[in-house]
Amino acid sequence: EPMERRPLPPHDPPGHPSPPISFPAIPIKFSEKQQASHYLYVRAHGVRQGTKSTWPQKRTLFVLNVPPYCTEESLSRLLSSCGLVQSVELQEKPDLAESPKESRSKFFHPKPVPGFQVAYVVFQKPSGVSAALALKGPLLVSTESHPVKSGIHKWISDYADSVPDPEALRVEVDTFMEAYDQKIAEEEAKAKEEEGVPDEEGWVKVTRRGRRPVLPRTEAASLRVLERERRKRARKELLNFYAWQHRESKMEHLAQLRKKFEEDKQRIELLRAQRKFRPY
Amino acid sequence: MGPAPTGEQLCGAIGEPEVMEPALEGTGKEGKKASSRKRTLAEPPAKGLLQPVKLSRAELYKEPTNEELNHLRETEILFHSSLLRLQVEELLKEVRLSEKKKDRIDAFLREVNQRVVRVPSVPETELTDQAWLPAGVRVPLHQVPYAVKGCFRFLPPAQVTVVGSYLLGTCIRPDINVDVALTMPREILQDKDGLNQRYFRKRALYLAHLAHHLAQDPLFGSVCFSYTNGCHLKPSLLLRPRGKDERLVTVRLHPCPPPDFFRPCRLLPTKNNVRSAWYRGQSPAGDGSPEPPTPHYNTWVLQDTALESHLQLLSTMLGSAQGLKDGVALLKVWLRQRELDKGQGGFTGFLVSMLVVFLVSTHKIHTTMSGYQVLRSVLQFLATTDLTVNGISLCLSSDPSLPALADFHQAFSVVFLDSSGRLNLCADVTASTYHQVQYEARLSMTLLDSRADDGFQLLLMTPKPMIRAFDHVLHLHPLSRLQAACHRLKLWPELQDNGGDYVSAALGPLTTLLEQGLGTRLKLLAHSRPPVPEWGISQDPPKHKDSGSLTLGLLLRPEGLTSVLELGPEADQPEAAKFRQFWGFRSELRRFQDGAIREAVVWEAASMSQKRLIPHQVVTHLLALHTDIPETCVHYVGGPLDALIQGLKQTSSTGEEALAVAVCCYDDLSRLLWGLEGLPLTVSAVQGAHPVLRYTEVFPPTPVRPASSFYEPLQERSSLLPRLDKPCPAYVEPMTVVCHLEGSGQWPQDAEAVQRVRAAFQLRLAELLTQQHGLQCRATATHTDVLKDGFVFRIRVAYQREPQILKEVQSPEGMISLRDTPASLHLERDTRQLPLLTSALHGLQQQHPAFSGVARLAKRWVRAQLLGEDFTDESLDLVAAALFLHPEPFTPPSSPQVGFLRFLYLVSTFDWKNNPLIVNLNNELTVEEQVEIRSGFLAARTQLPVMVIVTPQDRKHSVWTQDGPSAQILQQLVVLAAEALPMLEKQLMDPRGPGDIRTVFRPPLDIYDVLIRLSPRHIPRHRQAVDSPAASFCRGLLSQPGPSSLMPVLGYDPPQLYLMQLREAFGDLALFFYDQHGGEVIGVLWKPTSFQPQPFKASSTKGRMVMSRGGELVMVPNVEAILEDFAVLGEGLVQTVEARSERWTV
Repeated sequence: EPMERRPLPPHDPPGHPSPPISFPAIPIKFSEKQQASHYLYVRAHGVRQGTKSTWPQKRTLFVLNVPPYCTEESLSRLLSSCGLVQSVELQEKPDLAESPKESRSKFFHPKPVPGFQVAYVVFQKPSGVSAALALKGPLLVSTESHPVKSGIHKWISDYADSVPDPEALRVEVDTFMEAYDQKIAEEEAKAKEEEGVPDEEGWVKVTRRGRRPVLPRTEAASLRVLERERRKRARKELLNFYAWQHRESKMEHLAQLRKKFEEDKQRIELLRAQRKFRPY
Repeated sequence: MGPAPTGEQLCGAIGEPEVMEPALEGTGKEGKKASSRKRTLAEPPAKGLLQPVKLSRAELYKEPTNEELNHLRETEILFHSSLLRLQVEELLKEVRLSEKKKDRIDAFLREVNQRVVRVPSVPETELTDQAWLPAGVRVPLHQVPYAVKGCFRFLPPAQVTVVGSYLLGTCIRPDINVDVALTMPREILQDKDGLNQRYFRKRALYLAHLAHHLAQDPLFGSVCFSYTNGCHLKPSLLLRPRGKDERLVTVRLHPCPPPDFFRPCRLLPTKNNVRSAWYRGQSPAGDGSPEPPTPHYNTWVLQDTALESHLQLLSTMLGSAQGLKDGVALLKVWLRQRELDKGQGGFTGFLVSMLVVFLVSTHKIHTTMSGYQVLRSVLQFLATTDLTVNGISLCLSSDPSLPALADFHQAFSVVFLDSSGRLNLCADVTASTYHQVQYEARLSMTLLDSRADDGFQLLLMTPKPMIRAFDHVLHLHPLSRLQAACHRLKLWPELQDNGGDYVSAALGPLTTLLEQGLGTRLKLLAHSRPPVPEWGISQDPPKHKDSGSLTLGLLLRPEGLTSVLELGPEADQPEAAKFRQFWGFRSELRRFQDGAIREAVVWEAASMSQKRLIPHQVVTHLLALHTDIPETCVHYVGGPLDALIQGLKQTSSTGEEALAVAVCCYDDLSRLLWGLEGLPLTVSAVQGAHPVLRYTEVFPPTPVRPASSFYEPLQERSSLLPRLDKPCPAYVEPMTVVCHLEGSGQWPQDAEAVQRVRAAFQLRLAELLTQQHGLQCRATATHTDVLKDGFVFRIRVAYQREPQILKEVQSPEGMISLRDTPASLHLERDTRQLPLLTSALHGLQQQHPAFSGVARLAKRWVRAQLLGEDFTDESLDLVAAALFLHPEPFTPPSSPQVGFLRFLYLVSTFDWKNNPLIVNLNNELTVEEQVEIRSGFLAARTQLPVMVIVTPQDRKHSVWTQDGPSAQILQQLVVLAAEALPMLEKQLMDPRGPGDIRTVFRPPLDIYDVLIRLSPRHIPRHRQAVDSPAASFCRGLLSQPGPSSLMPVLGYDPPQLYLMQLREAFGDLALFFYDQHGGEVIGVLWKPTSFQPQPFKASSTKGRMVMSRGGELVMVPNVEAILEDFAVLGEGLVQTVEARSERWTV
């Protein structure tokens, strides 16, 4: 069957999930030397009415299929021809809903090894997005003026970066713990303030810190209580005392044997099917 | 047997088990139930997966019928469980001959009978005049010396009788042999035919004539000769039908003398019937001393006279008792699985049948017993009775003219007399063979007593070939050397007795010599029994030296393998001379620490692997010294696989010593940690969590001594960095150590905060270790790397409540419950389960010194097959541990070689779908718990990983196989193991030497779609490759400690970094396979599903492109670009990317 490779035309492909979207394709290669190229599928970032997004409307370009060797810097450089780039963020998956971005510590949450990623490119002006949508390419990630490291070069420099700076780590830990201690102190102070003070409806909150500590409200603790109850009851019960109990336990034994017999037969059937009874 | 009435009652029922079962099934009233039962039975074979049994309440609790109760009780009394009963019945069905086939065999036998009696007679000639024999047939006997008195003529047999197991119904498939006795007419024989092989000559001529005539008959597909039970004086004629039944049956014709022809008193073990004057052409010693007795010769004559009486005895005793026949059939299977029944001196089916008769006659077996009970009783008898010391007899007569048992013990090693009291049934059985039988019986009894659920499988269904059962084997090749050995050992009377068969003659003395020499190192010595060859009637019988090679199996005692010393008597003792004579020039006088001066032999062995091979030195030395068998003829197979786990340039050790050095260094470090001052919380426990610390790292670490010129120093962080212009530096993997701190309420109760506090501990630890002990340290948020004596340890501080904090979930009502999360499971695995496992396996190594070698060979092999990534280190270690903890039906391996073979066997035969592999570390699981685990496993099968390994610490989840392998990868491993095992066993059993032992370690590469070849310059472990390169690159190490005290480059392995990138980027599209031990090639397999065109979706664009196909726009992998990506991502490391595009289309 004849096959033809071409970038996706700007009309909706059949069977595509709604809302219809169009993704122009921009060829991208690592460098001059490569013959074949990957394709970036780009689109102006937009969200459904009513939902909020971390990315500014109109000025953000959403890019799919960013190859693993393409860094944020190189993407920024490649797209700067369309207009001034304010920021580039690479992510493993597209943002589904609004999620607050927290600054991640490089000590405690090291960056994962990149695969194919998605990017949000924020231009300073909306014109950047439209220029990018019309980009023809092919884009080259690594050029002579801006070489990008890969392979051995990259691993050696990654290794050098991974050698930790204990001082920086210490500073980060201290800052975090100071903030944490402060938060805990505040919470405790608040709890102490509320201790024994009824709320608007007159309820008093009982905490573990009170003068008479109560059972912690955990699942394990409640299970423990139940288990203790059950054991207490079991101790009082008589076993094999009445005739019916005796009969029942015999019947139970027989039922066990029957069940075992069925299981065994099933096992044998399986072994027979696998010809496991051929001794040699 | 218990109360007789019970037995009487059950008698009828055992006879017809086939009738019993439908009766039980038929107890259901309505047809609906029967169909539901059918469904539960029919389903599993379709999927090959056991389902939990679902029976309705009504079915479970209905009133039992009498038959059902009877059946249940019978099962309880006669078998140990219903499963065993069903299994035994199935097995018997499988090996028993069907009625249809019996009819065909009977028809063939009638034809044979008719033809045999019609063979024409020939006129009488001298025995030495054999010109009358037609050209196409040779006499099936070595006629040495040729000259012998007497005349021969052929007359058709006076009687043709079927003897042996066929009539009894105890013969088992697949080799059905029917023995037919041909009674030679009295006219053929003469008075003194018992003398000087005359009878055997006539017997052979008789067969030759028969063979010539029968060979012309179109009824037979093949007519050839073979030795009866391997005895070189007694050929028999084998007849097989022509056409499709050729493999169905072999009829063996045995000529025998007319009854009462030989006078039994002349064939007693003390009598001589082969005269020295005739045999050697000289009288013995010339001084008139008596002729040596010829007990074996006499026995072989006697055997021919007793064929019919034995049959009669067997049929009266076993005839009507189905249980006894079943028992004999089971025993035959048992013997055959252990290769005990074949060849000369084998423990044949006939012998066990007679043994059953003996036990019936001594009331140890009752005729109402089930086959299983008979098996058990016979094994019990064998296990506890040493027939080499206390012979037994079936003879009830108290005739004083009969010889005493002691006479037989003098002449034979094993004594079991038949009912005549004159014939030793075990005449050819050597002491070694009997001891092997005893040993096997003892093992089997322990197994049966342990009430293991799979006893049947292990006892009757698992083959125990010599190479897999014995730690070391050795081949004597060529066999002709044994002739010289016989002369050296002065075994002339034995040769005379054995008709010149020097292999049989030498066997006994040889094994005794080696058993004595190996002493405490040896648990059991077994020899292969020369196989019984067949040959065409136009060929001369095979020579003794042609019967292949003699193979000895050594089962070693691990505790005996540690000593290099053979301590002899004190020099002034009279035994000293004997000791010197036994050990020859290796014996020397030595002064010991206690002042004693003793004879002693000291073997050269420094490392554990060399000590394991001391038996090799002992064997070659003793054989050369006492039997003139030179070292070149002794092919000792004990350590050829050692080469695969030997470190670079360390051919003398398989690494146990290097591992011990690392473990020692770890012990020192843990002492330092315990004694550390200034930590806010003191260290409460230090636990190893790395393969090195449980002795299972394939290539043990060596102390690192970096050459500073090879690296880029990063002084401010006191670390070394790899340099671009140099080859990749040596790979150093830090050994993980988990460090627990004393409990404290001061820890924060928030996951993020706990991480920060832990990081603070890591920093503090590094500081203190540097200050107090001058160790080079480097702390990160999760661990502290410590350089100690050239070894690098990675200390992870653990807070025992952290997994719990990660698990806590608060419900809206404020109730806190614990739910496993990926992070909590991961942390629990690394800080709790891994240290426990490491210490348990460390303990196992102390108990079984071969464990390290086995586990490492196993891992080496799996990784060499490029499958290492899919199996965690721990899972393979546990499989290896299972070989030691659950060795049945073997004993724990004492050499890496045999352990590795059993690893391959286990992997290739274990039914992972329906069974968890239970590894009962420290024997913590009770039998009941194991049963519970098994049923829990069946119920939860679909949620469990494909490979489930259960340990006492991990009863439900199989943590070490959670993330792999996939079913396909496991299947691939099973297939590879099933291919490797027979190949390797064949190599090791080849008497001319194993050849290239690395063959089974080389992976098949033709299955991959793309091969990425890597440059050795950047493979740090290049020299660990299966085919170790002759030259590799310098890795920046010094042989002596250098001035650099900076932290070496840690965990830098470009191929691994490359693979991580590949898997991250293309893991959806392809699988990547690589041998971490110096592999030069990465195999890539496209996932078949990923090539299916898919609709455009924002989440699945990775590495794909849009294409128009049939007018529709779809996404397919951008293969050309991906292939170029392979090269881009691995720039510098990748040499070529070979796409085998013929294997796939987009």
